[in-house]
Amino acid sequence: MYVPFELEMPGDLAGALGALAAGTGAKTMAMAGGTNLIVDMRAKRERPDRVVGLGRVGALRGMECGEEWISIGGGTTVTDLLQSKEIAEAAPSLVESSRLFAGLMVRNTATVAGNIACGSPAADLVPPLLALDADVTLASVAGTRTLPLDEYFLGYKRDVRRPDELITRVSWPRLPQSSDQSFINAFYKLARRKGDAITVTGVAVTLVVAGGVCTKARVALGAVAPVVFRARDAESVLEGRALTPARIDEAARAAAASSCPIDDVRASAAYRLHTVEALTRRLIAQAWRRSTDQ
Amino acid sequence: MNRPNIRFRQVGRPLTRTDAPGKVTGRTPYAGDYVMPGMLHMGVVRADIASARLVRLDVSKARALAGVACVLTAADLPERTASTDIPGQVGQKRLDTGQQILVRERVRYFGEPLALIAAETRDIADHAMELVEIELEPIPGVYDPLEAMKPGAPVVTAPDNIVAERRIRKGDVEAGFAAADLVVENTFRTPFQEHAFLEPEVGLAWVDENDVVNIRVSTQVIEHFRPIADAIGVPHNKVRIRGALVGGGFGGKEDLTVEVYLALLTKRTGRPVRLEYTREDSFVGHGKRHPFILTYRTGVTKEGKITALDVTMVADSGAYVFLSPYVLLYALVAAPGPYRVDNLNVFARAVATNNMFTSAFRGFGALQACAAYEQQMDEVAQAVGLDRLELRRRNFLKTGEPMSTGFVPPSAIWTDQCAERAWAALGEPAPAEGPRCVGRGIACYQQSYGRLTFLHDTSEAWVGVEMDGTVVVRSGVTDIGAGQVSALGQIAVEVLGVTLDNVVVYNSDSAVTPLAGTTTATRALYMTGNAVKQAAEGVRARLVDRAARAFGVEPDAVDLGDNLAFVVDDPEKSMPLVELVRTCGAEGIHRSELAMFRAPFTDFLDPETGQGQAHPDYAYGAHAVEVAVDVDTGEVEVLKSVAAHDVGQCINPAAVEGQIQGGAQNGQGYALSEEMLYEEGRLITPSFSEYLMPTAMDMPKVECIILESRSGVGPYGAKGIGEPAMTPVAPAIANAVADAIGVRVFEMPITPERVVRALKRRDEAARSGPVA
Repeated sequence: MYVPFELEMPGDLAGALGALAAGTGAKTMAMAGGTNLIVDMRAKRERPDRVVGLGRVGALRGMECGEEWISIGGGTTVTDLLQSKEIAEAAPSLVESSRLFAGLMVRNTATVAGNIACGSPAADLVPPLLALDADVTLASVAGTRTLPLDEYFLGYKRDVRRPDELITRVSWPRLPQSSDQSFINAFYKLARRKGDAITVTGVAVTLVVAGGVCTKARVALGAVAPVVFRARDAESVLEGRALTPARIDEAARAAAASSCPIDDVRASAAYRLHTVEALTRRLIAQAWRRSTDQ
Repeated sequence: MNRPNIRFRQVGRPLTRTDAPGKVTGRTPYAGDYVMPGMLHMGVVRADIASARLVRLDVSKARALAGVACVLTAADLPERTASTDIPGQVGQKRLDTGQQILVRERVRYFGEPLALIAAETRDIADHAMELVEIELEPIPGVYDPLEAMKPGAPVVTAPDNIVAERRIRKGDVEAGFAAADLVVENTFRTPFQEHAFLEPEVGLAWVDENDVVNIRVSTQVIEHFRPIADAIGVPHNKVRIRGALVGGGFGGKEDLTVEVYLALLTKRTGRPVRLEYTREDSFVGHGKRHPFILTYRTGVTKEGKITALDVTMVADSGAYVFLSPYVLLYALVAAPGPYRVDNLNVFARAVATNNMFTSAFRGFGALQACAAYEQQMDEVAQAVGLDRLELRRRNFLKTGEPMSTGFVPPSAIWTDQCAERAWAALGEPAPAEGPRCVGRGIACYQQSYGRLTFLHDTSEAWVGVEMDGTVVVRSGVTDIGAGQVSALGQIAVEVLGVTLDNVVVYNSDSAVTPLAGTTTATRALYMTGNAVKQAAEGVRARLVDRAARAFGVEPDAVDLGDNLAFVVDDPEKSMPLVELVRTCGAEGIHRSELAMFRAPFTDFLDPETGQGQAHPDYAYGAHAVEVAVDVDTGEVEVLKSVAAHDVGQCINPAAVEGQIQGGAQNGQGYALSEEMLYEEGRLITPSFSEYLMPTAMDMPKVECIILESRSGVGPYGAKGIGEPAMTPVAPAIANAVADAIGVRVFEMPITPERVVRALKRRDEAARSGPVA
């Protein structure tokens, strides 16, 4: 079934980083929930010589919800996200995405860091995190660095993470919620069935609205390009203005224009372009309606 | 025709099935749970091109690997084939369905086995598989049945790729069309479907002290011991199949799967050998549902009376014959559906391609016909401006009327009641909101139960009463999860006046349990249920006779119930069953009975007209659904799903409901999301991350309306429900989608993408203005 490999199970973060730094010359891979890696190893798409399992590194798991920032450990599972009331209030898109994430057994073990690090354009936690302006913190024995998630992906299954680094934290500034400004944050997963399916088109939207004007817009798109990405053209159409149907339409078209999907077994590129436009339009319109209703 | 109401003690009650406790607690061993000391583990090396010539197959490195016990290729085997005839039968002339066991020269489909490896561990076997050197030279293949029929197409099956051809010619179709006010013609396409049983194919084989090859295997058909013996060149009595409870069959374990490979390697090595398919093996290791292209041309009067029907069907048989001729026959017979069509032409062909071979799958051709005829009924209704249900009412085949083959089904036909009940149960429609359109659909069906009557089907069962009054049933029937065994127990205890906890059913062993035939064709309850009832009644007659003598009354005055024998009109006169049985034992009165039930034996249908009897009887019913369609994304959500079936007589209503629930899910996936994509015959959706069956999140609550006409030919008037439960589901959904969006998707599965394309077509048609 598997090509033989060495498995190390360090008990703390320092041990994990040490294990990743060691073994020069051998292909070493970190494994969190393993819900992608195990499948890839079984199919022999990945053939690591060494696997560093992170299951005993408790420090990577957990959420801190401060007044200014929300920060989650890379080892936090999708189920953990679903069970947090604070995340539900602060980041509804992330919870919606978690709710529709694979099946229960996968949700119980798949982690936030693993979903980012797998680099799939259909990774469901990434569009919400991009729409939340999340930063990722990478750690290695050489030290830590923090960068915007937006700068993390370089191309299809390519990212800035070195093999000796782990994603230890994902953090984002709390969206403003007060008497004079409010936010709407939403995600739509389009797939070939409701439960346990790979995303065909994923759209995450954040609008901050103050005084009848959209002061901030984030539109993040999944499965319609080699990487999950922010549709900046669509965002700039929306920011600083009151939204009209025509403007929302323009943003939706801009979102589609910035997408470059492929044909695959789940859908054609043409269908993805059609739906990314339709869903961007829908989510922004719904968000605007809700913000003005409040 | 309907049987009078009788009082049942055991039958008709939702008793806890005898197989339930073991399954719930995990005590039940499945075929994959059996191991033996010293057993070897197998792997199957497969071709990764669908149409090719085998230039070179070098297994020397695999053979040399430490821990490899045996590697077999075609070069190591005599020129034998594995036949895929309908098993368990004797004496009928059939098409030659022989197929190479391992590729000798020509690869005809993606995944065709090239070599078998047995090793000390599964890992070693896997490693050895990678060491096999394969050189395949691609040969132009054909992957579309319509292309395969054209002159000059690559030949998969000589001479012309046509594997089977069948016809119905009934009445005068030309006159029927002349009498029509309107002619409606449409072409429908149905897809491949994967059985996707929870338990992939698995088995364990060993040679015993009598030189008998024993195979413990997950199968619907223990009678395969015959073709296995033929394939490995031993007498029929030297192969023994021991089944186990099966983790799902659906027709996918009706053909041989792993048995011949296991038999060959255990014979060759003299050691126990185990083979377990991975899910990916399973996707390429057994035949799929036949895709069909069905063209329906219907003549209809303004009043909605069908005057003529002309049907053309083309089925993709894939690279080997398997059960295609029979699947095609089912589709042929089912072509007009549960409607009275006196002027009928049907022309059906099964065509060989280099796609995955296709064979049995729940519904067996009749389901594909239903997918077409029920969509066509909606199109006809729309064309004549009649309500969909009303058009159906005006054409339903009624009890006592002749069906497509001229045969008059012996049972009641309650399609009308089922349709009305299912439709009414949909209740108030859900509101349409924003981009969500709501629509409804219904589909009715006719589906046979019991095997083709020209196959002369039989089933045997043995029933005995032990000295303490407990009951033993022995019958070869396989239990594929639908409660087949428990139902037999329920029938036996009904006849013998005891309760279900007093019976043990031994089943599924080709050497020691009387052969019951297969668990296929919705025949297990009909055939083996009747056999068990017959056997139990034989025992009962002797018991009652002895009791009557003791009571000094006539035998028909005595009944058995609640573990007693008693005089019906004078229940004070009674004796415990155990006392009666002991008396019989002491006096040498036979306390057991072996019975054979025989289905009607007929000749084959007239080859020119297709007239005659094809099946023992038919089941009728309807399925209704309500769906919401998102017009932006094309997503379809099934909001309500209601089934109404006349099952004749429930033996166990809980089991019947289980079949209906499962059929609703199976049909919903077929309609909406399950898709096998092939590129030049290569399956590109070989796992459950691409092949999408409905999950719990996709299924609505399924409402089951069970009607009992007590008119069937099964025990106590039972019909069958295994296949019927699925048959009408997909067209009901297709009709609901068309109702919601005003345009039809003519090809299943109705994916979101196809819905969006249909909507674009609709909108473009609307823009180009009204059509005169």
